[in-house]
Amino acid sequence: MSNPNEATLLNKYASEVFAGLVAPALEDMQVSTHPAEDLPAKEDALVRMNRELKRALEKPASERHWVMVIDLRKCIGCSACTVACIAENKLPPGVVYRPVTIEEVGTYPNVTMKFLPRPCMQCDKPPCTDVCPVSATYKNEEGVAVVDYDQCIGCRACMAACPFGARTFDFGYTYTEQLPVMDGAVIGGESAGGYEHASQEYGKEWARNSRHESPIGNVRKCHFCLHRIKDGILPACTTTCIGRATYFGDANDPDALVTELINKPNVIRLKEELGTEPRVYYVV
Amino acid sequence: MIKKIAYTVGAIALLFGLWGVYVRLFEGEQSANYGSYIGWGLWVAMYLFLAGLAAGAYMLATLDYLFNIPQFKGTGKAMLWAAAVTLPAGLASIGMDIGHMERIWKVYLQPNFSSFLALMVWGYTIFLLLILLSLYLAFTRPEQSVMKLVMWIGLVVAVLVAGGVGFLLGGNASRLFWHVGLLPVQFPVFALASGAALMLVLVGWFGPKEDHGNRANQLWTLGILTVILSVVKLYFLFTDFTQSLYGGVPENVQAVQAIMFGQYSFSFWVVQIGLGTLLPILVLVQPKLAKNDFIAGLMGVLLLIGYAVARILIIVPGQVVPMLPGLAEAFSGPKLTFEYVPSLMEWSVTSAVLGGAILALLIGLDRLVRFTEVKK
Ligand code: SF4
Ligand code: SF4
Repeated sequence: MSNPNEATLLNKYASEVFAGLVAPALEDMQVSTHPAEDLPAKEDALVRMNRELKRALEKPASERHWVMVIDLRKCIGCSACTVACIAENKLPPGVVYRPVTIEEVGTYPNVTMKFLPRPCMQCDKPPCTDVCPVSATYKNEEGVAVVDYDQCIGCRACMAACPFGARTFDFGYTYTEQLPVMDGAVIGGESAGGYEHASQEYGKEWARNSRHESPIGNVRKCHFCLHRIKDGILPACTTTCIGRATYFGDANDPDALVTELINKPNVIRLKEELGTEPRVYYVV
Repeated sequence: MIKKIAYTVGAIALLFGLWGVYVRLFEGEQSANYGSYIGWGLWVAMYLFLAGLAAGAYMLATLDYLFNIPQFKGTGKAMLWAAAVTLPAGLASIGMDIGHMERIWKVYLQPNFSSFLALMVWGYTIFLLLILLSLYLAFTRPEQSVMKLVMWIGLVVAVLVAGGVGFLLGGNASRLFWHVGLLPVQFPVFALASGAALMLVLVGWFGPKEDHGNRANQLWTLGILTVILSVVKLYFLFTDFTQSLYGGVPENVQAVQAIMFGQYSFSFWVVQIGLGTLLPILVLVQPKLAKNDFIAGLMGVLLLIGYAVARILIIVPGQVVPMLPGLAEAFSGPKLTFEYVPSLMEWSVTSAVLGGAILALLIGLDRLVRFTEVKK
C-alpha cells in the first residue's frame, strides 16, 4: 500500500471528493482549476500510518508500543467507527467496543456538541487484569489488553474494575435470530447467520453457534484489531473514520505520526487521576 | 406449627425456583436483568449475604465450643450446621452468576493469586472444609483440644473471608461508592450481625422442645447483641453516606442519592431501615417481647431481610453511575443500561437457593444436629 502510485491516487481521489463536497459553499470564490496532481503533495494520514505500521511490524513485538490518538476537534460524532468495529468483529447486540458518547456543552444559546469515541484505553496499569481469577485477561507482549475467551469463566470482575466501561458481556444475542425465514429464498436469520458467526478476533475463528459456546458468556473488549495489525492493516475504526480523527501507530517510533501528535501539550488522557496510564490519547 | 410453615415456605420457594434454575442452565443469561454496565446484581448480593451469614454463624458457634459460655451451651452444633448450609447456598448463588460455570475448576487449578476473587474462592473453600471438620469434631470429640484448635483457626478464617468480600468491592478504585476503606471493616460486623439474627430465628422458633429456663435468657442476650450490632451498622451507614455527600464527588453523591431518594429509596427506607433495623431494635430492647420465642424469631427474620437488602444496596448503587458522561445513551442494545431491578428469573433462582437452604437447615435440625438440651 505504501507505493507512491497508490498514495498519489488516494490523495487525488480524496481531494476531488472533498472539493465536490465543499464546492457549492464556495460558489463565489476563486477555486483552482488545476488538476489534483498539481497540488502540493500532502500525504493522507492513512497512507502514512500504513507505511509506519509496516515499519513497526518489522520490530520484535515487545518493542512496539501501540497507541491510538483521537482528535476530538475533528470528530463529527458519526459513529462510523462504532459500526465498522461491529462489522469487523461481528459484535452481537449489547456488545460494543467503541461507542461514541455525545455531550452537550455550554449554556444556551452558546451550546455545542462534544463527541468522544471510547475504545479500550489499553491501560499500561490496567485495573482489569489483576482482578481476573484465572488470568484470562492480560496485557499481551505488545501491550494490548486481551481476553482469552477459552479461559474466561465469565465472572465479570474485570467489567466491574474498568473505570471506562470498556468491557461488555456477550449474552448470546444475534441481530438476525428473530428475522423471518422463507423456504428456498435467501432471506432472514438463517442465511445471515453465517455472517454473524464468523468473527476472527485474536486470529481465531469464533463460531458462536450455541448459547454456551465462547465468546458467549464471556466479557469482550476492544483489542486494537490485533488480527488486522498482524497482517499490516490498521484497526477498523481508524481506516473508517471519515473525519481522519483517529490515528494509530507505534509510539516507540520517533518519526511516527502518533508520536508527533502525543508529544504536544494539547493532548489529554481520560481519568488520568486514576493512574491507569491509558494508551489512548485525545487531541483537544 | 412454625416448623410446618417453614417447611412449606422452603418447599414452595424451591419449587418456584426450579423454573429459574432450569432457564438459567439451559437458556443462558438473557432473561436476567443484570447486564454490561450493571454486571453484578441480585445473585452476587445473595452470595455476599449468605457467605456473610455463614461466617457470622460460625463466629457464634465459638460461643459454645471455644469460649464455653454457659448460656450458649448446646447451640454450637446448630450454628455450625447453619454455616454448613448457608455457605454452599451462597456459592450456588455466585455459581449461577458466572458465564461459564463448567470452567470453575480453573480457579482451583489455574488460579491467579493477584486476583482477590481467586483468593476468595480459595478462602471460602478452606472455610467450608473447616466448617465441615468442626461439625465432625462437634459430634465426635467436642471437648478435646483439637476441637478448640480448629475453632480458633475457623474463627480467624471466618473474619478474614467476611472482610475479604468487602475488599473484593472496596478494592475497585474505579467505583468510588465501593472504594471506601471502611468496607472490609464493616463486612465482618455485618456478618456477625446477620449470624446473630439467624440464631434468634433458630433458637426462638426451632429451639429444643424442653425448655429448661435457659431459652428466655439466650433470646434476651441475643436480642441485645443484635441491637448493639444493628446500631453499629446504622452508624457505619451514617458515616459512609454523610461523608460521601459532604465530600461532594459527583459519582459518589449520585450513588448515595439513588439509594436515599432515587429508585432504591423504598427498599432502603422501608425495608432495610424501617422493617429490617428500627422495628427489630424497638422490639428487642423490651425484655418481655425479646424473651418471647415467636416474636424473637420474627424479629430475626426481619433483620435477615434487612441485611439481605443492605447487601443489594451496596452492590447495585456502586454501578448505577455511568463511567463517562453520555455513556448510557452512546450505544443502545440489550443490557446496556444503568438501571437495574432483578428479573423474575433472577428472583426465581434466588428463591431456589433460599428455599433449598431453608429445607436443608430444617432437615438438619430435625435429624442431624438437634440443639443439645441443657439442664440447669
Ligand atoms: S480501558 Fe478498561 S478494559 Fe481497557 S485496559 Fe483500561 S481498565 Fe482494562
Ligand atoms: S470475566 Fe473473564 S476475563 Fe473478566 S475477570 Fe472474569 S474470568 Fe477474567
